[in-house]
Amino acid sequence: MKEISFITRRLLYGIVLVVGVTFISFLLMVYFGPDKTFELIGKNPTSQQIAEVRQSLGYDRPFLLRYVDYLFELGTLDLGLSDTSGEPVESVLARSLPISIALVVPGFILGNLLGLGFALFAAWNRGRWPDKLIMGASVMGMSISFLVIIIVLQVFLCTPYGLNIFPVRGWQVHDFSSYLHYVSVPTLALVLVTLGYNTRFYRAVMVEEIARDHIRTLRAFGASSFEILFRHVLKNSLIPVLTRVMFSVPFVLISGSLLLESFFGIPGIGLVTFNAITSGDQPILKAVVGLTGVLFVMALTLNDLLYGVVDPRVESS
Amino acid sequence: MHSVWQRLKSDHYGMGGLLVVALFALATLTVWTGLFGQGWAEVSGNSWESTSAAHWFGTNLLGQDIFQRTLFGAATAFEVGLVVTGFSTLLGAILGGLSGWYSKGWVDEIILWIKGVLDSIPFYLFAAAVAFALQGRPWAMHLAMIVTFWTTTARIVRGEVIRIRQQEFIEAARAIGLSQLTILFRHVLPNTVHILLVQATIVFVAAIKTEVILSFLGLGIQDGVSWGLMLAESSQEVLAGHFGNFIAASAALFLLLMGFNLLADALQDATDTRGAMT
Amino acid sequence: MSAPVLEIANLSIWLDTTTGRRQVVDNISFSIEAGDTTGLVGESGCGKTMTALAILGLLPASNTHMRCSFIKVKGRDMLGLDGQQRRQVLGHDIAMVFQQPGTALDPVFTIGQQISSVYRRHIGGSRESANRATLKSLEQTGFDHPEEIVRTYPHQLSGGMKQLAMIAMASICHPAVLIADEPTTALDNTTQALIIKQLQRLRTAHGTAILLISHDLAVIRSLCREVLVMYCGRLLEKTDCTRLFSTPRHPYSAGLISCIPIISPQRPGSINTIPGQVPVSTDLPTGCHFSPRCDRTVDRCQQSVPQFETDGDHQVACFRPLP
Repeated sequence: MKEISFITRRLLYGIVLVVGVTFISFLLMVYFGPDKTFELIGKNPTSQQIAEVRQSLGYDRPFLLRYVDYLFELGTLDLGLSDTSGEPVESVLARSLPISIALVVPGFILGNLLGLGFALFAAWNRGRWPDKLIMGASVMGMSISFLVIIIVLQVFLCTPYGLNIFPVRGWQVHDFSSYLHYVSVPTLALVLVTLGYNTRFYRAVMVEEIARDHIRTLRAFGASSFEILFRHVLKNSLIPVLTRVMFSVPFVLISGSLLLESFFGIPGIGLVTFNAITSGDQPILKAVVGLTGVLFVMALTLNDLLYGVVDPRVESS
Repeated sequence: MHSVWQRLKSDHYGMGGLLVVALFALATLTVWTGLFGQGWAEVSGNSWESTSAAHWFGTNLLGQDIFQRTLFGAATAFEVGLVVTGFSTLLGAILGGLSGWYSKGWVDEIILWIKGVLDSIPFYLFAAAVAFALQGRPWAMHLAMIVTFWTTTARIVRGEVIRIRQQEFIEAARAIGLSQLTILFRHVLPNTVHILLVQATIVFVAAIKTEVILSFLGLGIQDGVSWGLMLAESSQEVLAGHFGNFIAASAALFLLLMGFNLLADALQDATDTRGAMT
Repeated sequence: MSAPVLEIANLSIWLDTTTGRRQVVDNISFSIEAGDTTGLVGESGCGKTMTALAILGLLPASNTHMRCSFIKVKGRDMLGLDGQQRRQVLGHDIAMVFQQPGTALDPVFTIGQQISSVYRRHIGGSRESANRATLKSLEQTGFDHPEEIVRTYPHQLSGGMKQLAMIAMASICHPAVLIADEPTTALDNTTQALIIKQLQRLRTAHGTAILLISHDLAVIRSLCREVLVMYCGRLLEKTDCTRLFSTPRHPYSAGLISCIPIISPQRPGSINTIPGQVPVSTDLPTGCHFSPRCDRTVDRCQQSVPQFETDGDHQVACFRPLP
């Protein structure tokens, strides 16, 4: 019974968030967005022509109805046509999204696993030189801009000024080796830009867990470092770790691919968004913003529901 | 606050960071007072000149002096950093304070909801949406950052206010009949200043880094020059072997960010009263 | 007279703080024989818990320093063991029950998992035999339905039940020594009695020697044969429990005993206090640390440190002990 009310509460809150997210993107992209009336009609239009175009664009409909229209578009994935290519938005997204996922997943997983590993190592040697070395490197990593990392990697790995072993641009992927060929440099960039932040965050979590009373109990009963770290500390820190992983999925998928794809010319969702930003392609933008918001809320809700599975304490509180 | 400064002074890395930040702040002041960096837009040489007495860091494609542009970029970074940090910290303190003071009430619920909504939209997309709605107005980037950066500050302030609210001096303030808001703004929020200070340095770093990305995406600085714009220019130049813009902008950016990061860490240690008690 | 199972010689501990290094335990020595119960009594902050952690080698290395001649458990010097060897002793020959049962157990593992992993670590054997031993240990500790307890998580149990589960965990390998650090402080009176009863059972059933750390003389009196009185990091008196209560010789011990609230209808509201306050360890008085609060102080007390004087089994560190 408790579980059911917990789940319904979480789902209700998720819906409330979805309303907020879609409302903001509606407000910014549709309501206050650019007025397309005059792009669609010729010079010196009559007022009747203007009214007709405005009607066809739905501008004359009441505010709330337009919001509901937008919700319907998102809900039915009937997102209209791209302003620039005339292609249905949903097919643009369907084509580009898998590319972005293939692009960022290796870097995302590696960045988190490496961060977790470094964090465990640093936390266990807290105050000693491995800790200082790792933390110092993390601060340096956090001080380097994503853009700088990408440019440096590109020069060193993809141009004659460096090793020149990877492609500068593009995404001609047809088998695993060509996938590795195109994904390596973006993956390295993604790992480097996230590693500092991940390591610091995970170390803080680990340090807190290692200082807890029950770790002292384990030591008093002769548990080995390995058992303490990999059984108890890791399981106890699963919640903050899982939360961070969940929360960073949309960040990495959208923000990461935005920069990586526009830079390396990879035709994923990031490049689509980048092109939409530069050309003012409203149908694409409003779909991307609305859908990522909704997806994020879904991930968040799923995350909270997962807590109940991982942490026995949640159900009682 | 005095003891915070004492502890900060004994932290060599923190003081190093402060020194770097102070140097960049000084450079910014020389730009703002019109002393240096005014010739950032002038074409004063040929394309791709190498370093010389006239052009310390060489020139770019148009023949503009890269040193002057780097200096002006420092001023741009501080302008963005100060505006964004100031407003988002203010917003975070007020909304986080209200949220913590009335925690579990409807004020808190609404503020938490707004935070939840803003945190649900990936930042660069949100910035793009704001820029889209404002149709390229120059302060669209600042606004986007302020509107999204206050949420972290607010979350931390909220937790701290909930903690402070349970302390005895708040009971005492209630007992002598001070109004809720007076207690919150005169007695509770001033006790979160150390947290706001640490958070402000972190926001400053985020603002500068974000400016670089947004400028590259074409959503950032509209007039003037910034390190982000220089890096955006250089992303094509480096493929042709011209590294002047890139080295100048990325080195300046790294130094300032490193300075701020070291300062933020030191401030965090110096204001952490938990560690000092035992 | 049986052989001592726990011997500590010349233990000193220093703690680093933001205001500098300060001594929290000053050259203490004592030993406990098999099946014996010794109480370590003193006000909070006098170094009792530090002593216990030092015995197990659990002092945080980052901010504490320790000097000690030896810490012998069943005749083996813990200080000479490497990490692997020491882990084999911890939980097997010597175990500890902590002050806060609420946080001493891992919240994300069941009681059964936590107890049986101690058994598997030290005794080995199959999962089934560990589970049987766990059930048996819980049953002996007084749980009526151990098969339900093993499936629960710590947060589902009351503080007293958690502490009893800790005792079941500590006793599963029948250790020679059990250190109980304020095991009843966080609990109510009836639960206190339960815990004391279980500690007594351990002593009689397995011959476990118990070091009971407490600030509560009533708890010490209900369990211990011998008492060590500690003040500001030093031992002041070491004697038989009954003798301490009948004829305390150190003025501090006498003061402590007179402070026990007496539940008596004849003398409602009567309570004694020791004048003055416990000094902070950064600013300890010279000579006998108790001298500023003592009504028997002479000049000598403030100039040099009194050493233990033995009078049969009764040892006291005082220049002018009570008769």
